[in-house]
Amino acid sequence: MTLGRRRTVLALAMCVGVAAIATPLAQRSYRQSYSGNVRYDGKFVFIRLSYPWYGGRGAPWAHDWPRGETHFLKIFSELTSVQMHVTESSIMSLSDPELFKFPVAYMAEPGFWGMGDEEVNILRNYLLKGGFLIMDDFRGRDWGNVDLQFSRMFPQGQWVDLDANHPIFHSFFEINSLDIIPQAYDAGRPIFRAMFQDNDPSKRMLAIAAYNTDISEFWEWSDTGYAPIDVSNEAYKIGINLFMYGITH
Amino acid sequence: MLAAIFEFLFKYPRLVFEQGSFAFGATRSMSAVALIAAVAAAYALWTYRRLAAVRGRDRGLLIGARVALFLIVLFALMQPMLRLKVAVPQENFVGILLDDSRSMQVADYAGGPRSGFIHQQLGKADAPLLTELGKRFQLRVFRFSSTAERLQSTGDLKFEGTGTRLGEALDRARDELNGLPVAGLVLVSDGADNSENTLDESIAGLKSQAMPVFAVGVGRERLSRDVQVTRVETPRRALKGSSLVIDVVVTQNGYAGTKVPLIVEDDGRMISTQDITLPRDGEAETTHVRFKVSDLGPRKITFRIPVQGQEEVAQNNQREALIDVYNRREKILYLEGEPRPEAKFIRQATDEDDNLQVVLLQRTAEATVSVPDKYLRLGVDSGEELINGFPATREELFGYRGIILGSVEASAFTPEQQRMLEDFVDVRGGSLLALGGGRSFAEGGWGGTPLSDALPIVLDPGSRGPQFPPAELIVRTTPTGTNHPATQITDKAEDAPAKWRDLPPVTSLNPVTEVKPGATVLLTGINERNKSQVVLAFQRYGRGKALVMPVQDTWMWRMHAKMDLKDKTHHTFWQRLVRWVVDGVPDRVMASVSPDRVQRGEPVTVTAEVSDPEYKGINDGRITARITSPSGKTEDVPMEWTVEHDGEYRARFTPTEDGLYKVSVGGTAKDGRDVGRGEVNARVAPSDAEYFDAAMRAPLLRRVAEDTEGRFFKADDTAKLVDAITFSGKGITVVEEKELWDMPIILMLLLGLMGGEWMFRRARGLA
Repeated sequence: MTLGRRRTVLALAMCVGVAAIATPLAQRSYRQSYSGNVRYDGKFVFIRLSYPWYGGRGAPWAHDWPRGETHFLKIFSELTSVQMHVTESSIMSLSDPELFKFPVAYMAEPGFWGMGDEEVNILRNYLLKGGFLIMDDFRGRDWGNVDLQFSRMFPQGQWVDLDANHPIFHSFFEINSLDIIPQAYDAGRPIFRAMFQDNDPSKRMLAIAAYNTDISEFWEWSDTGYAPIDVSNEAYKIGINLFMYGITH
Repeated sequence: MLAAIFEFLFKYPRLVFEQGSFAFGATRSMSAVALIAAVAAAYALWTYRRLAAVRGRDRGLLIGARVALFLIVLFALMQPMLRLKVAVPQENFVGILLDDSRSMQVADYAGGPRSGFIHQQLGKADAPLLTELGKRFQLRVFRFSSTAERLQSTGDLKFEGTGTRLGEALDRARDELNGLPVAGLVLVSDGADNSENTLDESIAGLKSQAMPVFAVGVGRERLSRDVQVTRVETPRRALKGSSLVIDVVVTQNGYAGTKVPLIVEDDGRMISTQDITLPRDGEAETTHVRFKVSDLGPRKITFRIPVQGQEEVAQNNQREALIDVYNRREKILYLEGEPRPEAKFIRQATDEDDNLQVVLLQRTAEATVSVPDKYLRLGVDSGEELINGFPATREELFGYRGIILGSVEASAFTPEQQRMLEDFVDVRGGSLLALGGGRSFAEGGWGGTPLSDALPIVLDPGSRGPQFPPAELIVRTTPTGTNHPATQITDKAEDAPAKWRDLPPVTSLNPVTEVKPGATVLLTGINERNKSQVVLAFQRYGRGKALVMPVQDTWMWRMHAKMDLKDKTHHTFWQRLVRWVVDGVPDRVMASVSPDRVQRGEPVTVTAEVSDPEYKGINDGRITARITSPSGKTEDVPMEWTVEHDGEYRARFTPTEDGLYKVSVGGTAKDGRDVGRGEVNARVAPSDAEYFDAAMRAPLLRRVAEDTEGRFFKADDTAKLVDAITFSGKGITVVEEKELWDMPIILMLLLGLMGGEWMFRRARGLA
């Protein structure tokens, strides 16, 4: 085993170790601290979409919860003029009609996401009416599931890989290169894929997938020294741009 | 009948009493006789007072009867008389003015057309009224409709005139007869005057020359069977694709309760129809007609009700209006102080409308000590547009036609920018729509700012910030809002109530309840405690209009779970609201014509308001109106500054062809800079005004007659017309005395009193 390979394995082992510890912590925290959703009052609320999970403890939709959004909302509030609930966030399933009062939603680990037929129709309506979905924290073969779930809503839907020229990378911060976007996995470069209304990139973006990366991972651990500060900064910048775009477009 | 009884009792017709002055003609000796009679009466009274047999009321009655008897005798002995100035036969002139307009064809006089009266009474040399007049006066006959002229023969009357201008006709006759001894003017007409001028000046002229008008009203004061499209109010210009709500006023007689279709046609193509129920006889019913204007250019829009059976006037069942449909993108600046979904959804709605360009300047981060506000710009035409945030100059701001002000606090603007916002409405004539939010209205510190004067609501000086949690409001239209073009969320009026009922509630952080006196509320919201607040209101302010919509999330009408994906209510609402916001906003050159519909040969006045980029009037410019006739001939007419108003220019032209005249106004300012162009159309066509309100207008004719000391006669009661002129006292006259002592009424009173007294005395045993 070469030195480089050993380092890779070590890094992987550390990642697995951190994940093994972090996920149960997050779930325990979820059970302990979740006190219900924020009632709609016009202010922005971070909406985390939940979906059915039968794989035992550590529901993948809750990865990085709540520290991810807690940290993100502090930064988002500090830097922008969006009126928001800073210390509270909501977890909603697709069957919750209140979801339609919050036009931007976030989903973690969509590789494990599944929907019933009714939920397919609900999310389709949500997106076509004006909602915007941000998917994060998945890689490799997980893409197949995202594509499958979207094909149930939009059989003719096509994904478009975005480059740094797209307005979403300039909605608040000027992100001129996607190479600076942090990589949380070992599955290649991060890819930002979007689906547009009528498959027309000049029309409204319905959803964006931050594929091969885990931006909220950097938010979650940004106060621990897990990642360098400048890398965490980039994760915050891309997060703010995605949410700002969703609110304004 | 009454007149005959009067004449029998009083010896002379009432007219003689009205025209004459009363006098006593007794000589001195007769006066002495009267004095003796008075003494005798006094003696009689004295004897009555001494009669012990008669007391109380009986004595009073007898004394009264006897006194009345003596007074009547005394009155007769004093030789009462009427002195009249009587026109000397054949020494005076009478002008006869005959209405030659189309309305005289209406068949409501003696079973035939109104013109029948003229034919029967004045149409031939031996016609009765003409003969009677001719016996006493020199006659001058005129015809009139839009113009007036001497008439050689009544056979020249065609009754085809397309207008009735009584004032001009009276002026013409007065001028022709000026200097001659005139006993009066006989005006034979239905009084259906349709000129734009009042009759005041004409009447004053006649009074000053002592020319009384004897008006003969022909026709009935109310048609028995007629449906009329009385009034249609349309905008002169409309943006392509606009949904218009037009008020159509219908009146009728004889068809109350009948259901008829009201059809709207665009150059002959039906674009809307709806059934209406005709109102009660003589009453007006306003119907709100909706249609969309899609085809570009000047459009002749016709509002028509099919002719009903046996209508007396069929031509007044339709009205025409000219609407210039223009096509351009109306540019609106939307300033939003915070990123929020309301802006995103409004843009989604307006982006679907090719004629609206909502430029969004959305503040995404607030300024710090070292960094200015950060903005996201969407929908701009160039990278330079709004690069420095909200416009700092009037020229830049006034380039937009509307402003939407989102949730942004007053302190985000400099004092000059706040004045610019007010002037945008007041001076530029633009429209401003202020939306609700945490930084809007009183909650955003707007109280006491220049803009607060323009807003239609009263800002609460005691506001302690936005209300949390926000009020949840069920939105309803007010009676005005129900038929207002800004609040139409359905294509059919009957679908709107159910649609409003089904809409999800919206929320408000701004508890606005009080509006200014000149404001109009279109939408209200009812909160959980059943209290209402303003949801949409507007008022005119200066040249423009200001609107408020103190709610924060109309996007619920699109996004809410209960709204169907295919439901376009939110989009429809915002497209129509924003279209109305920019409707009527002036350009730098605004041209208008008056009247906008004329007949050949009638002058048209072109007025233009010319402004600089800051919308200050440009005086002393070289402004020209280019007139293009229907056949393509062009003529440049120089326009002159009116001096009355800054930037106002005026010119006149007289069309010679039927059709549409295009008027394009442009030129240069004093410094040589181009001022831009403004266009307007004038329609030249035979007028149909004669058929509207075609019933005989007795009040108007009576006013003309009485104000000039003449008299009004109905066509079937002209027997005293000649006497009235004879005794009018005008022209060359002699004084004639009419004795009254021998009036039958005096004899009857004397006999009645004597007989009554005798019978009373018998009844009381005194005889």
